[in-house]
Amino acid sequence: MSNLWFLYLFFAALLVFIGLYCLLTMRNLIKLFIAVEVISKGVSLAIVATGAVKNNILLAQSLAITYVVVEVALVATALALIINIYKKNKSLDVRLLSKLKG
Amino acid sequence: MAIQIILLCGLVIFSALAILLKDLIKAALSLAVASLLLGIIFFRLAAPYAAVFEISVVAGLITVLFILTIALTKKGDEVTEARLVKLAFPVFLILFLVIDGLVMKSLLQKIPALPAGPEAGTFGEVLWKQRTFDLVAQVGVILAGVLAVLALFRKKEEDKDE
Repeated sequence: MSNLWFLYLFFAALLVFIGLYCLLTMRNLIKLFIAVEVISKGVSLAIVATGAVKNNILLAQSLAITYVVVEVALVATALALIINIYKKNKSLDVRLLSKLKG
Repeated sequence: MAIQIILLCGLVIFSALAILLKDLIKAALSLAVASLLLGIIFFRLAAPYAAVFEISVVAGLITVLFILTIALTKKGDEVTEARLVKLAFPVFLILFLVIDGLVMKSLLQKIPALPAGPEAGTFGEVLWKQRTFDLVAQVGVILAGVLAVLALFRKKEEDKDE
């Protein structure tokens, strides 16, 4: 069972790494939110896999569902924000937002 | 076990494609396929409710939101990424794979896990009785999201006068 847990958490960490790499290096705002989505996939995989391995799958499922709801609200708000930024700057380049620096 | 490994590899490959593909529509579709694979993994872990939410909400709704945003921001593809990003990705990935393989096993033994016995009851009982406060918080989060979107798309006073 420990091997199975190791396998799932290994891949979950990999997903988090891929998302973090994109967040740190890319410039397109939509790509950055795709990266946030990839990270959240890694986290939900870790939650459900740990629940399955530790015989707590019902609790893990309810946590995963709560996480999905939070994720949807986050994405809806973030994408609305991206559309507004695009209307103002006519670009999705994150470097243009450095104008906001005080 | 072999099927699980294939599904997990597919999940990682499509997630990486979602990040590396230049065409944003293709990237969003890769993300949807990754969500679908994650949903199948959840089904195989005996978590059908989480799987249904993952497939219907994340693979369905969020992909539609992404594609809608990409359509509304037509020049989004024109953002130039640094060349080194895609070239350096495999190097960093292999480096992380090695570190992950070496560290994760010892890390798992050190994580103090709560003693867990077999669960009693049904999913509904756990969700409604044990996690009631989560449900209240979910309603709050959804309301906050709706209000935020409404505020962001609010028309200016001048627009109304016209």
